[in-house]
This record gives sequence, structure tokens and C-alpha cells, in this order.
Amino acid sequence: MDLLAQILINGILLGGLYAIMALGLALVWGVLNIVNLAHGAFIMLGAYLSWHLYTYLGIDPFLGLPITAIIMFALGYAVQRGLLNLVVRGPMFNTLLITFGLEVVLTYLAQLTFSADFRTINPPYAGNSIALGPVVLPQARLMAFGVAIVLTLAMWAFLLRSKLGRAIRATAQNLVAARLYGVEPRHLYAVTFGIGIGLAGAAGGLYGTVSQINPYIGAALTAKCFAIAIIGGLDNPFGVLVGGLFLGIIESLAVLYIGATFADVASFGVLVAVLIVRPSGLLGKTA
Amino acid sequence: MTALRIVIALVVIAALAAVPRFGSDVLVQFGINALLLAVLAQGWNIIGGYAGYASFGNSVFYGLGSYGVAIAMVQWELPFAAGLVFGVALAVVFAFLLGLPVLRLKGHYFAIATLALAQVMIAIVSNIELAGQNIGLVLPPLNNDPLFYELALGLLVLTTLTIFWLTRSRFGFGLIAIRENEEGAAVMGVNTTLYKVLAFALSGIFSALAGGIHAYWITFLDPESAFDISLNVKMIIMAVFGGPGTILGPVVGAFTLSAVSEVLSSEVTSVAGLFFGIVVVAAVVLMPRGLADVVRRFRKSGWRYFIENIRANRI
Repeated sequence: MDLLAQILINGILLGGLYAIMALGLALVWGVLNIVNLAHGAFIMLGAYLSWHLYTYLGIDPFLGLPITAIIMFALGYAVQRGLLNLVVRGPMFNTLLITFGLEVVLTYLAQLTFSADFRTINPPYAGNSIALGPVVLPQARLMAFGVAIVLTLAMWAFLLRSKLGRAIRATAQNLVAARLYGVEPRHLYAVTFGIGIGLAGAAGGLYGTVSQINPYIGAALTAKCFAIAIIGGLDNPFGVLVGGLFLGIIESLAVLYIGATFADVASFGVLVAVLIVRPSGLLGKTA
Repeated sequence: MTALRIVIALVVIAALAAVPRFGSDVLVQFGINALLLAVLAQGWNIIGGYAGYASFGNSVFYGLGSYGVAIAMVQWELPFAAGLVFGVALAVVFAFLLGLPVLRLKGHYFAIATLALAQVMIAIVSNIELAGQNIGLVLPPLNNDPLFYELALGLLVLTTLTIFWLTRSRFGFGLIAIRENEEGAAVMGVNTTLYKVLAFALSGIFSALAGGIHAYWITFLDPESAFDISLNVKMIIMAVFGGPGTILGPVVGAFTLSAVSEVLSSEVTSVAGLFFGIVVVAAVVLMPRGLADVVRRFRKSGWRYFIENIRANRI
């Protein structure tokens, strides 16, 4: 029973991190109708950025998150403005393919610059944990979870309340009407993509504190983000949070009951099952 | 004109078939790889190019074909041909079992579901005892590169002829109708589910045969290499670079990109992968309909062709 409780806690903590990873992907998908296959690669870049800030400048990975996010936002803005805006009106397959190519480019660039060695961001408190009755809460994971929840809430408030957030939601609903109300789509698309990549960067920084990073983690993370975005739907950051928690718990349970190699099988099995039964997501309305 | 084309095709095939007689070992080995990749690109062309369903999971068929041959030859001590048949049978069963639910999905969702399937296969196969689990299987060696070369060439010719037949058959037109407008096709009396599953299975058969030949040639396979996801990258890029939905586009794309990648990787290793990424990004922006379309339209619009493509798709 204690073991089960611990596994569930681990799943929930992992799920919070998954949610923040998927948040940017779901935003870009919902607003721009681009499924960004390079999303995981951007998470990987964010992790390396955070690692460099910590290793060479001594900036704590959690305090460094805003820096990472801002740099990644600028990168995302530039990529959308300079590249993806050129193909965004083309067939769906083209945007899928170009982000796919981007993923390959980013992975190889990372391999050339950072080498293929495993890295971890190891702040002094990495090994600490808080005992709570029979279960143990690792401090870094708990902090990552907390940041993920705060970011999800902030994202929700931003989309609902701020002028820019409203413009983004308006564009997602109807590009032509939004344009008539004075939204400049080229800029707004770039800002939205930038926010998505900024979130990916922050998620990467958090990921680096709880797991190992190497240039090839991107593809598997992208696939997980999909699973979450599909389970949670694209309309609402809270859906993504629920999707992330769901996947985190499923994976932890699969590791316990079926075996560690089946963690990915379980999550992708859920993904395919959800896709077939409800293509618009468990919580989402029709896409 | 048609007679001339047939003659040209025969001359090209004869020239390719003569390569092992005159070419070096390295050239023959490069040829086997390039021919098998061309078969994969052609296989993808059926489901991705003609039916318009962008499968990111065709590497699964390749892996099933490899394991079909390996299991038949190592575990059951059957001949190579029986292994190929077994691999193809596995691929067809897979295409029907998973194609039926997955092919109901459209657009992004289909692409993602197939991508997920491709990732799961490694974990599943590495737990099957018959398939040698994580360790893989070692096949009896057969050092006969020219034979494998001719087999691969024969397979590519067969695949291309099938696609040629496709472009003139009721089945092929049905697939194109599905690509252009699926509801419309259904209204016109095309059994879309059957057509899509058949296209998926057909593309699976050729990919499985390519996997089988590759397995016997390499004589060793493990889950990681047999279900290598980056193979999907290559076959899609090659088909799209050459021209998806054309008869010869994917073959030309596969040969061109294989050659450039081979030269690059002998000069500067690890830049070859980067090259594939850059090619696909540039190709989507500048020539989204592939080399075949460039050849057709470049004469008329010249360099403006590339600018027109960007104009058509940007916001």
C-alpha cells in the first residue's frame, strides 16, 4: 500500500512536469494549427541552456528558468517569423514535415555542439527529500511540480484576461475576424510560437533537474507531449494539466505492474486508444 | 514515345544491373542501401503520396519483414524465400489489424498514431523470446553482395511497376480521389476504408521485402536497428524530395539523397544527418511538390518558381 502511494505520488510529480512540457505544444497546435514535431528538440535545447547557465555561470536552475524561457521565446519568435510563417498556409503535411526537418537539424546541431554525453543539472539540494509519513517527496521534483502548476495557472490567466491572450484566442477561433479587429497575424503567430517555445525551454530546464539530458531526448518527448495534448484537448491549459497527470500516473503504474520497458508502451497505447475512441481528446470539444 | 520510354527504362535497368560486374565492392554495397531505401520511399509513396495519408510508421513494416526472415531462418531453419513470405504475411496482418482503426484518423492524428506505433514496436519486440528479445538474432552469413544487389534492384523494379500499374488502375484513381477529397470519393462509390487498408498493406508488403533482404544481407538484427525510427525520416524525405504521388520521383529522390549523404558522411561524419534536416526544411519551403514538379514547371517560370511557391503558402 505504501508502495502504491509512493508510486502515485511519483506519477503525479512526473505528470506536472509532463503537463508543462505539453502546454507549449498544445498552444501552438490549437492556435496555429501546426503540430510542432520539433517541440521535444526545443525542450532539449532549453535543458542544455539551463545546464550551461548552472554549470558556467552558477545560476540556480529554478532561478534561471526565466532567463531560459526568454532566450527560447526569442528563438521561437525568430523561427516562426523567418521560417514557419512561409509555409503556414500550405497543406497540413508541409508544416508537419518542416518541423520534422527542424527536429533533425536541432538534434544534430546539439550533438555537434554539446556532444552525445549524458548531462544532469545537479544543484546541491538535488538529493534532498521530504518524508511525509510513509511516502518520500524528492525536493527537486516537488519544486518542478510547483513551477509547473504555477505556470499552468499563469498561462490560463494570461489567455483569459490579457489583451494579447484574447488576441491569441480570437485568432485560434477565426483568423479572418481577428484580422479585421486589428490583429497582425504574422506578429501574433510568431508571438504565440515564441510563447510555446519559451514554455518548452522552461520545461527543459525543469526536466534537466530531474532527469538526464542528451541530444536525442527530443523525439520521445514530442511523442509524450502529443499524447498529453490529445488526452487533454487543445482548448484549455487545465485540460493539458489533467492529461499530464494522467500520463504520469499511467506510466508509473505501468513501471510497477508490467515492467519498466513497458512504460512507453502503456503511454502510447493510451494515446492510440484515445485517438481511436475520441479523436478530439478525452476532455476537448471537437477540434 | 511510349516505345522510346520503355527502351530508356530497360537500358537504365540493364546498366544498373551491370554495376556488380564492373563496380567496386564499396559501390555495390552503397547500391544495395540506396536501392532498398528507394523501395522504402516507393512503398511510402503508395500510402503517403497517392492516398495522402502521411504514415510516420512504415518502419514497422520494414522491421516486421526483417524479423520475419530472421525468425524463419534462425528459429525454424527455413529457407530465405520462406522467411520473406513470412515477413510479408506479418506485415499484411499488421496492416489490416492496425490499419482498420488507425486509418479512420485523419491528418495530424493519423501521422501521430503511426509515429506512436513505430516507437512502441521496439519495446514490444525486445520482450518477445522468439525474436531474441533485446539481444536480437544472428542469421547464417551469405557473402554474396552481387546477389543481394540484384535482389534489391529486382524488388525496386517490381515496386515501381506496381506504382505504374496503380496510376492506370481503378484502385489508383480511387486512392487519388481519397487524397483529394475523401468524402467526395466515398460519395462517388469508392470503398474508402477498403482502399486505404489495401494501400497500407501494399506499401507494407514492399517495405517488409526490403527489410527481409536487408536482414539477410547484414546477417544480424536487434530491435533498435530493425525498427529504427530514423528510417521513417529517410523514406519520407526521399519521397517528398523527389515528388510524392509520382512514379519515378521517390526513386530519383532516394538515389540523389543517398549519393549526397554518402559523399558528405565520407567527408565529414555526422554532418550527413544534419544535411537531411536542412534538405527537408528547404524542400518544404522552396519546392513542396518535389523535384518532379520542379522539372515540369521550371521551364515555364524559371527561378520565379521558388518565389511563387513561397508566395502561395506564406501569411
